[in-house]
Amino acid sequence: MISKFRSTALLWSLFFLNFGFAQVSSTPGQGEPASEEGIPVTDALVKAKCGSCHTSDDRGNMQRISWERATPEGWEQALRRMTLLYDVDLTPAETGHLLQYLSTYHGLAPEEAKKVTYDVERRIHEETAIPNTVMSACGRCHNFARVLSWRRSVDDWKELSRAHAVRYNARPSEEAIAFLAKMAPLHTTEWAAWRTRTLDKNPAGRWLVTAYVLGRIRYFGEMQIESSGADGEFNTRATLQSVTDGSTVVRSGRGLMYGGYAWRGFSRSGNVTSSAPNDLSNDAQEVMTSAPDESNAEGRWFWGQYQELGFDIRMQRATSNATLLGIDRPLLKTGSRSQRIRLIGDHFPAQIAQADMDFGPGVTVRRIVSHNASEVIAEVDVALDAPLGKRQVAFRRSVMPGALAVYDRVDYIKVTPDSATASFGNQTRSRGYQQFEAIGYQNGPDGKRRTADDVELGPVDVTWSMRVFYESEGSRTDSVGTVGPTGLFIPAADSPENNFDVWVIADARTEKDSDGKPLVGKSYLVVTVPVYTFNGRRYVRDLDRWVDDGPARPVQQ
Amino acid sequence: MKNTVLSFLIIATALLLNPNSARGHHGWAAFPSGSQITLKGTVMDFHFVNPHSVVEFAVKDDKGQVQVWEGELTSRSNLAPRGWTATSLEDRDEVTITGYPAKNGAHAMRITRIVLSNGKELKLSGGN
Repeated sequence: MISKFRSTALLWSLFFLNFGFAQVSSTPGQGEPASEEGIPVTDALVKAKCGSCHTSDDRGNMQRISWERATPEGWEQALRRMTLLYDVDLTPAETGHLLQYLSTYHGLAPEEAKKVTYDVERRIHEETAIPNTVMSACGRCHNFARVLSWRRSVDDWKELSRAHAVRYNARPSEEAIAFLAKMAPLHTTEWAAWRTRTLDKNPAGRWLVTAYVLGRIRYFGEMQIESSGADGEFNTRATLQSVTDGSTVVRSGRGLMYGGYAWRGFSRSGNVTSSAPNDLSNDAQEVMTSAPDESNAEGRWFWGQYQELGFDIRMQRATSNATLLGIDRPLLKTGSRSQRIRLIGDHFPAQIAQADMDFGPGVTVRRIVSHNASEVIAEVDVALDAPLGKRQVAFRRSVMPGALAVYDRVDYIKVTPDSATASFGNQTRSRGYQQFEAIGYQNGPDGKRRTADDVELGPVDVTWSMRVFYESEGSRTDSVGTVGPTGLFIPAADSPENNFDVWVIADARTEKDSDGKPLVGKSYLVVTVPVYTFNGRRYVRDLDRWVDDGPARPVQQ
Repeated sequence: MKNTVLSFLIIATALLLNPNSARGHHGWAAFPSGSQITLKGTVMDFHFVNPHSVVEFAVKDDKGQVQVWEGELTSRSNLAPRGWTATSLEDRDEVTITGYPAKNGAHAMRITRIVLSNGKELKLSGGN
């Protein structure tokens, strides 16, 4: 079970491996004497399994390994490469041990890992400020996060470049090496500080969970984590309840904490309710980052062909104190009265008073409707001149920054993501979906939309539609796909073997513009084939990019 | 996303070369480089996105009827280094837009020139 779990928890590294990524030189170098101090290897199993090729010096430094640091995903790729290409014999338990040791003692500091979290959490992210030389050296096969998932000495970056030149006919770039050596050095102040800390963290206990699902608003609940008895492994059980309709999702799983902060897990629900791609009972990978003091963690649980669906997760350790987790509505309109608002939390006391709640200036608690240990329902009045914008909500000393927005009008709605990709399926790849959401905004003090002072108000009730570029309104779009009432785009089951540019359109049900017309938001969606061949090479779609998959192979009959 | 844009360009090119992909992600294929047209209109919305930024603008035809046009630019990634932002074109801005109209007769064009009502011309890339 451990091996199965570990394989699943780090599934995407297999995925990337299949795409021809390569981060670690497969041949331990016999290079010049190291110009930077290495990180000695102290683990007996690493020495035993790797030592025949990666020789050690008298300080305990092993070739290559002592001059590299990486994320758990990076080390898993490296181990898999060694297994596949160099016949390194590892049992699942040994693989787990090596991963744990290398990710902890040759890992990244949390501050370093944070820069590439979007990649391991499988989030669409625009990578900018990367020199063209680096992009041309690395970008055909890697996103930049994959490169920055490693820290190396200057010599090791050179060795990596040399190995890529041999293996992939990639042209070495001195400029790229210099950039990477500066951007991702082996020794950093962050790492120096982190490695002195106690890295043997224990996430066991009860955690309070806030889960956000695009298009479905918010879920609250808890996750119980306990040791499984196996080395460093934990069992989990999460129960989440929708604030919208009260529906419950129960998930069980397992996870590991790498480096004292990087949670990698897998969970599933026993009560699968449908085969819908966005069904919240789907098996999910869990990637979360824990705060250094273990008081909170955040990340993503995800699934899908491109890991494009899932929950955004925030967790905080349960304490004996009253804790506010969230509220059931993100918006209150100025001048409105007797608005019911539900506070969701933990350990709310048996006796509460109106003064225990604070919604900020201009919002007064009229009465407490009901309360128990996990929720308080209150009625509030909102003054006509209440300050506009986001504000914190507090229950006693428990504060949620930016939990509530007070508004007098919605100036515009924005569909997020503002541009996206979905894909048709083929014989080997499932369809790639895209979830949209319509968010209301107020212009802010400058009165202009799309500027930095705009106030995000939260999800707006809309109807969804779509239109293929250059087609007239009302034209059929079935051959491309459908966008459902929750904003989920589902590509057509039969691939038309073509690509389409599509507007995904949100029409506000109640909010109108200054001319009295419903507010409209749009997103630019490109619906693609999953794979194509060009100039003898095969290109495969990843989450938000195309990857050169190498020479095109003949079609299997 | 820069990678994404590059990738889109690759696939756009590939599809242009593929006779079975006439309706693929279009690049500029939908806009033949014949004669250009110039329209005066009012900005209704500006989508500063990849793989193409899009201006929606209202144009009055000869009979005074309002037609909504969509004008396509290169990507946000290409425009941003030229100083473009999400507010380079704002609602109700009066603009004069020149470009290649869509070959299927839709009210869409590949923009080659945008001039604001104050005479300022917004700098465009060479297209993709």
